[in-house]
Amino acid sequence: MAVVDSNGLIADGWARLADDAPVPKGGSVVVSFARLKNEHNSLFSAATKVGVDIPSDVNLGELEPFLPRLGVIVVRFATMRDGRVFSVGRLLRERYGYAADMRAVGPFIPDQAQFLLRCGFTSFEVDDSYPVESFKRSARAYSVWYQRATDRAASVAELRQGALDGSKS
Amino acid sequence: MYIYDKFDHTITRERVAEFSQQVARRLTGELSEDQFRPLRLMNGLYLQLHAYMLRVAIPYGTLSSKQLHMLADIAKKYDRDYAHFTTRQNLQYNWIKLDQVPDLLADLASVEMHANQTSGNCIRNVTADQFAGVAGDEVEDPRIISEIIRQWSTFHPEFLYLPRKFKIAVTGAPKDRAAIQFHDIGLQIVRNDAGEVGYAVYVGGGMGRTPIVGPLIRGFVPKAQILSYLEAILRVYNRYGRRDNIYKARIKILVRETGQAEFTRQVEEEWPLIRDTGVDIPAGEEARIRAFFAPPAYETIAEPVVAFVEAKKKYPAFDRWVSTNVHPHKVKGYGAVTISLKPIGGIPGDASSTQMHAIADLADTYSLSEVRVTHVQNLVLPNVKQADLFAVWQRLGEIGFADANIGLVTDIIACPGLDYCALANARSIPVSQRISERFADLDRQHTVGPLQIKISGCINACGHHHAGHIGILGVDKAGVEFYQITLGGAGDEKASVGTLLGPGFPGDQITDAVERVVNTYLELRSSPTETFIEAYRRVGAAPFKESLYGRR
Amino acid sequence: MAQAKEEMKILTANRLRNGETVYYTAAGEWSPYVSQAKVAATPEDIDALTKIGAAAYAANLVVDVNVIDITPGGDVKPSHIREIIRASGPTVRSDLNKPAAPSQRS
Ligand code: SF4
Repeated sequence: MAVVDSNGLIADGWARLADDAPVPKGGSVVVSFARLKNEHNSLFSAATKVGVDIPSDVNLGELEPFLPRLGVIVVRFATMRDGRVFSVGRLLRERYGYAADMRAVGPFIPDQAQFLLRCGFTSFEVDDSYPVESFKRSARAYSVWYQRATDRAASVAELRQGALDGSKS
Repeated sequence: MYIYDKFDHTITRERVAEFSQQVARRLTGELSEDQFRPLRLMNGLYLQLHAYMLRVAIPYGTLSSKQLHMLADIAKKYDRDYAHFTTRQNLQYNWIKLDQVPDLLADLASVEMHANQTSGNCIRNVTADQFAGVAGDEVEDPRIISEIIRQWSTFHPEFLYLPRKFKIAVTGAPKDRAAIQFHDIGLQIVRNDAGEVGYAVYVGGGMGRTPIVGPLIRGFVPKAQILSYLEAILRVYNRYGRRDNIYKARIKILVRETGQAEFTRQVEEEWPLIRDTGVDIPAGEEARIRAFFAPPAYETIAEPVVAFVEAKKKYPAFDRWVSTNVHPHKVKGYGAVTISLKPIGGIPGDASSTQMHAIADLADTYSLSEVRVTHVQNLVLPNVKQADLFAVWQRLGEIGFADANIGLVTDIIACPGLDYCALANARSIPVSQRISERFADLDRQHTVGPLQIKISGCINACGHHHAGHIGILGVDKAGVEFYQITLGGAGDEKASVGTLLGPGFPGDQITDAVERVVNTYLELRSSPTETFIEAYRRVGAAPFKESLYGRR
Repeated sequence: MAQAKEEMKILTANRLRNGETVYYTAAGEWSPYVSQAKVAATPEDIDALTKIGAAAYAANLVVDVNVIDITPGGDVKPSHIREIIRASGPTVRSDLNKPAAPSQRS
């Protein structure tokens, strides 16, 4: 298991905690959403940093109360075609104002990298055999975009109008 | 026509580069077939029975003559010298080699074309009225919003992995020539009481296994806010559309299972939250795109055009062709010519590279270099001077595309069916050929009048059989091709789904069955001006059932 | 006649690189011609074909791999109409059809 961002491998301090494993004193742990809901008091007081692993059909309203205290949200692809992940990413960032690390995990392919980045994902959990070079290239496949997304990059329409306004002034 | 600027060129070029390396990674095995399939589909590339098939996008059915020349060149260079125009205003090549696709895409890009999102579970190529900009009855040219939607939907980061494919159609006129109520989203350009232009939004129509006429969910969305409204619909669908069952994954099922009122509520709840996030394009951008669709420099021509009137008198065959194949133009002295790609006994929608070049030449000489593709698999020369119609007709005769059958019984839609398609149950093309031959007599076709026959080779309904006045569906009955007949479908502003008449017919009996249906109509119509669909709506299915299956 | 009741099968696929419809031959190659297909008539041989197909798919040589029925007796002829059309080409374009066997000259 490795963790990457758009530039390649990164160090990762998060440890996954099984639902029946005791909470360590200190350290950074990622727990299931069920455990977060049941044990949030003890979790937040014991561990230094807490993250949660959520499925893509999560009820975001249920997650909302915990957001300010989470250090990572791991969003899980059910299959590589699980497009809900992209909406969940955008909503967490744009609607709920979640600002810490947001990580994709599951059978996504390198070719989805740039779209995930545009929807607010910041890190990616992959197998050790993952084609990281392809992932990095895909993260840069496009230099401009037709539409706005979470990354707030100006859309082509905005660039055009900026260019037009500029030429007028 | 829309013309690419540097941004469009950059994105198209980057797309070719991206797909080229995806192909390379597939060939080395870095990408498995399961991983590559969604990627190639998103680029319009299917594996069919005999080879790969590439579906090229013709956004809202508008082509320049230069583009059509290139499509013909590609047919010769990479395929077997012909191509197929589809019911979604696209073009398909049937004999494509995977390792040549990158070069082909680069050739397409050189004329501002691509194959983006012509398949896959994403927002597909948007379709529109083929008479956009030339029809007298339109509120506004639908190509403007169609181009805006094309750009917004291209590589939309959130909506490339939807539960299922997603089709948007636009009509600019109350007369719906784009079958909008059979689309996931149908937009009709309307004016509100204050005289402002906006959109009526229909959601959840579709064909396939569960044909549904899409309901209206909002009567008016202001023009400047349509993208945020679309984004709200797509987001609700992307989050809640079913992903557990491919046959229940279209938005029509979500709308039905959620309930139209509740679905609409969810969209209306999402919309204001999206509206201010920069989704909607700046006003200047709408104006920029609009400028590309400004009317071309038409000449001032007085009607009647004497030479045209004389030619009609002198050549009855020409007169008849004008009556079926020339649509009124909003500018005096012009007409919009529909070129029938349905010669008697031919393959609906197929054209050779020679024919495509000839049509592109006609467009250059007579139609301000523009060509349209219709969802009935025909082509249109939208801007022909009436004085030139005779010359156009003659030239079309030389290339075998002068049939005066638009809207008539031999103007048949047929999907590729089992002759090409990996999903097919039965062949469609030979059925259309036999029916076309049976009704070859033009006098008889004109006696029968407007009648749309639509044939699909399986329940996916690419041949729109649900919307056919007479619909034919191919099924596999223990390894033998059978054909079911539906009646009463319509894809216009009075959209309806056809009713299944009864058990299917084997291939050697389907032509007779269709002929019996047509003869029954001729016997029961109240007058020669009562069309097939009008008569069917008046009398219902019973007399037709009886003619096919006897009294029960 | 007992043999006519037996299952007879061949292995078919499309080449990954160019999409061409091909058949697995007795020589261990993939041929465009159905007549050259290796015929399996015993459960063991059919099983072997299935494995060969899976291996060729895994090796990224072919896609859409299927073991299909043929009609017993005489020339190798697929049973189902879909496969008959796949073997020879679209029935509506006889000019583009492929013969069952390579021509002598090539
Ligand atoms: S309707 Fe079926 S047979 Fe016809 S093209 Fe569509 S998928 Fe293929």
